Amino acid sequence: MSAIEVQRQLLPILDSPNQGARFYNPELPSSEPFVPGHRTCAGCGPSIQYRMTSKAAGDNTILIGPTGCMYVANSSYLCTPYNVPWAHTQIGSAGSFTAGVAAAYEAMIRKGKWKGAYPNIICEAGDGSASDIGLASISGALYRNHDCLIICYDNEQYANTGIQASSRTPYGGMTTFSPPGPMVPEAKKLYPKDLARMMAAGHPHCYVATASVGYPIDLMNKVRKGLNHKGAAYLMVYTPCQKGFVYETPRSIDLGRLVVECGLYPIWEWDPEKRQYDYSFRPQNMRPVSEYLKLQGRFGHLHTQHIANLQKFANEQWQMMGVELPEALLQAADAKNLVNMAAAEEAVTVAETV
Amino acid sequence: MSTKGTHIPERLKIPFAGITPAPSQEKGQDLFPTGNWRAIRPVYRDKLPPCNNACGTNEKIQGYLDLVKRGKYVDAYALIKEDMPFPSVTGRVCYHPCEQACNRGKYDEAISIRAVERFLGDLGQALTRDVVKAGAPNGKKVAVVGSGPAGHSAAYQLVRLGYKVTILEKSPKAGGLNRGGIPDWVLPQHVLDREIERLVELGITIKTNVEVGKDVTWDDLKRDYDAVVLAVGLTQPNSVRAEGENKDGVLYGLPFLRDIGMGTSKVKLGARVAVIGGGNTAIDCAREALRQGAVEVTMITVEANPQEMPAVPEDLHDMLEEGVELVHGRAMTAVLGNGKVEALQLHPARFSGAINASPINVNREVPAERFHVDHVIIAVGQRAALDWLPDEFKSDRGTIKIDRFGRLGDTNFFAAGDVVQLGLGQPLMVVNAVGDGKRVAFNLDKVMRGESLQPRTIPVDVIFDLNRMNMTYFPHFPRVHQTLLAPASRRKTQEEVIQALSEEQAVEEAGRCFSCGTCNACDNCYLVCPEPCIERPSRSNGLYKILVDYCKGCRVCIEECPTGCLEGVPELDFDTGVVRMDTAFAILPGLHGRQAEELRNLAERPAKSI
Ligand SMILES: Cc1cc2nc3c(=O)[nH]c(=O)nc-3n(C[C@H](O)[C@H](O)[C@H](O)COP(=O)(O)OP(=O)(O)OC[C@H]3O[C@@H](n4cnc5c(N)ncnc54)[C@H](O)[C@@H]3O)c2cc1C
Ligand SMILES: Cc1ncc(C[n+]2csc(CCOP(=O)(O)OP(=O)(O)O)c2C)c(N)n1
Ligand code: SF4
Ligand code: SF4
Ligand code: SF4
Ligand code: SF4
Ligand SMILES: [Mg+2]
Repeated sequence: MSAIEVQRQLLPILDSPNQGARFYNPELPSSEPFVPGHRTCAGCGPSIQYRMTSKAAGDNTILIGPTGCMYVANSSYLCTPYNVPWAHTQIGSAGSFTAGVAAAYEAMIRKGKWKGAYPNIICEAGDGSASDIGLASISGALYRNHDCLIICYDNEQYANTGIQASSRTPYGGMTTFSPPGPMVPEAKKLYPKDLARMMAAGHPHCYVATASVGYPIDLMNKVRKGLNHKGAAYLMVYTPCQKGFVYETPRSIDLGRLVVECGLYPIWEWDPEKRQYDYSFRPQNMRPVSEYLKLQGRFGHLHTQHIANLQKFANEQWQMMGVELPEALLQAADAKNLVNMAAAEEAVTVAETV
Repeated sequence: MSTKGTHIPERLKIPFAGITPAPSQEKGQDLFPTGNWRAIRPVYRDKLPPCNNACGTNEKIQGYLDLVKRGKYVDAYALIKEDMPFPSVTGRVCYHPCEQACNRGKYDEAISIRAVERFLGDLGQALTRDVVKAGAPNGKKVAVVGSGPAGHSAAYQLVRLGYKVTILEKSPKAGGLNRGGIPDWVLPQHVLDREIERLVELGITIKTNVEVGKDVTWDDLKRDYDAVVLAVGLTQPNSVRAEGENKDGVLYGLPFLRDIGMGTSKVKLGARVAVIGGGNTAIDCAREALRQGAVEVTMITVEANPQEMPAVPEDLHDMLEEGVELVHGRAMTAVLGNGKVEALQLHPARFSGAINASPINVNREVPAERFHVDHVIIAVGQRAALDWLPDEFKSDRGTIKIDRFGRLGDTNFFAAGDVVQLGLGQPLMVVNAVGDGKRVAFNLDKVMRGESLQPRTIPVDVIFDLNRMNMTYFPHFPRVHQTLLAPASRRKTQEEVIQALSEEQAVEEAGRCFSCGTCNACDNCYLVCPEPCIERPSRSNGLYKILVDYCKGCRVCIEECPTGCLEGVPELDFDTGVVRMDTAFAILPGLHGRQAEELRNLAERPAKSI
């Protein structure tokens, strides 16, 4: 039997918006697979991510949406903000549904029933789905190397059901399932599951990367690299949720930058060919974690020791990336040099309302 | 919202039991007008960048820098030519108030605006045909008296408006202080010549060696022209009123430079030269003295230190580099010597009030110093020669008296430039004269067309505060510096001291501009909107549009606009474009309301049709 021709869409990599001192975004594709009218909160980070991701992918795309905000708040009366084929799937079956779509296209191409270019098959799973409930199914799809891109839009909690802790919720993050109290003053004791590294380590044949809405062009390029990669790809994207993080909506992109500048969200790529990590991404500044924490009500209860713990955690991330730590960040890991979160009292009232 | 690709069975296309039917693709688009969540509306509103504001002729600096970034040099040149007839000149000589005001100066280093202006000016000089055209002739004749920057600018704008313009100039060559004040090593004569050629190409007649008051009278002007612009500048040097000022070897800055500029100088300087004065003219004289053969040049100023000198810091720095010495806190009280200057008598002195604008207190208690010199050049300001002007139009400051529109009473005479600006507290400079000439030309045109002259009342929002922009998008980048001739070699030649930027350097420097308060189509708002509800048919300032039916007012776009063009306005300030959302169950007029209407009528329809 002769080899089967599969026509692939190779998406070009976008130029950096930083041209010397000048800031100017590259020419963006004109297609709009994501349209307004949806009911996510104002300033919703996952929506910003959807906008960028879908724009990078273009019109020959199929989107899969496991349960979560990006399904529930978006699809009603049989209409959705997705101007390309989109399907909801149960929260646990993110990976299996996506694998099914990919397998179906593979079969249709084999049988000559699909003539066009192989579509971009993108699953947009929340972190609840990707790190907990749907983890097994996603791992299966990655392991079997279906030609698809699985994105975990990481808002660090189960947002849609009213802000519960997921295994991606950071240490110290307050949710309705991890409220601060006399016994557990830091709210959440456990550190977040190192999900993306888990995926890279466990499925080394896949393209795996982390990204943030704070760096749109980097994010869009990683989407394109993931789609261009023949086989399964996995992307974990930081997407702030103003409802759960409790911040002022205009800060959505800013938080996406700060989380990286504070070392709490290392940005890297796993190269499946070379089988190694690429840690070359560097934010413009390095900052103490407190600059990120202080903008969010969910960290308003933290004491100096907790902030120091988070700084230690961030410092370890920098070291993992091979970045030399400036003295200021080492100092910031010592509780003696820190102050309690200024908004602690206000945070108590917030805790009662989320 | 979209229903594209959704299969909707027929039975679901009709309303049933309070459940609204699935919308069509078009209706889906406006099913959920989320704009009614919004309390604050993002609005695109360009501000005035401080550079444009500070420029004496309000060049659209941000605009042409943006065009240079895009490689559209001729467009940039055309934009600059709106307000500035000779960017090749100001690109060399301007004291650049724009750079002092530049917001980037508060961040790292100001944009080298003048250098980019020169790049564009030189590019314009190289064009075989200029981008500017004369306006359709309107049959009116205007005389412009004086061919300095103010006259040049007025004539240029008037010819573009369709006037037949004649310039009357008393000197043998046109150019005013551009030729007779500013030295060749700052502004080479061929550059100025080319700009004057451009005026002639536009159809302007330039009559040199014609002096108003001598060759042409006030009444001649009145009779022969429909209107007149007086841009006669300040042609008489001030004296310091020291004893012995009439001795040989005492020179005045203005004629000293003017004769060199006009090529008629006969001065041969001795080895030791002193310059009296602390301003820009004095600096030019000191540096020119070196080039005219002086060996030791000393500048004597009343100002107590270099910071107080009313001079451009770069020029002062370049002068010191060339080896000119400074003596501060001294006044020349007498010129000593037998018929010819041999030495100066100096006394300690200081200004009695505000620096440079108040009488000088000389301390004669202490013994005088003797300062040996071969020549002294006095450069302490200029005044106007206005004998020919009717008295009613003379001001107490020795300038021409005008109203705020530059008009002499209700005549058709206007005045512009140094001859009206002297003593107003503004430094006298080329670009201010150019701006004055431009504004007066526009006012003259209004008067000729019988329109009333009215002061501008629209408030201008100048964006000075970096917090109104988003600095995270602008990493620190050093200013691109123009190279200078080495001090040792340049003090002997008339060659230009400051060198031009290359194309790459000009683009790099323009790239540093923040585009303060003015959309430069970076696309960031468009990219970061979560809805997304920002549209633009193409990438250009003014074409970005917010779909107010959907914008939830999150203000991410405002926060992430690097330039600060976007701003938030309370929704209550608007009475248009606010949408109301009806729910499926609220029987109200509107989208869902229409569907509810169908629901109510359901009972009347035969069962079969449901
Ligand atoms: C030595 C010196 C150096 C300077 N360097 C700089 C510099 O580097 N940068 C800067 O920005 N500014 C500089 N200035 C200031 C600047 O040159 C003046 O502000 C500017 O030239 C004023 O322009 P204007 O058109 O009003 O007058 P002017 O340039 O003085 O032009 C007036 C013209 O009118 C003519 N005129 C006068 N009376 C009559 C008459 N009765 N009939 C016919 N024609 C007449 C004169 O001959 C002259 O050509 C300098 C000034 C001096 C003195
Ligand atoms: C098996 C199952 N368990 C629980 C739920 C309830 N549920 C609906 S949405 C949601 C939150 C999903 O969180 P995440 O995947 O992080 O997406 P987000 O809401 O944060 O966008 C949950 C728990 C469900 N739909 N299915
Ligand atoms: S709760 Fe958070 S994730 Fe969900 S729609 Fe609102 S902002 Fe977006
Ligand atoms: S940064 Fe650009 S727009 Fe802003 S003041 Fe400077 S030159 Fe003008
Ligand atoms: S980002 Fe979009 S939704 Fe938010 S304020 Fe701007 S236009 Fe409105
Ligand atoms: S973000 Fe960019 S494109 Fe949008 S208004 Fe600001 S400058 Fe213009
Ligand atoms: Mg989540």
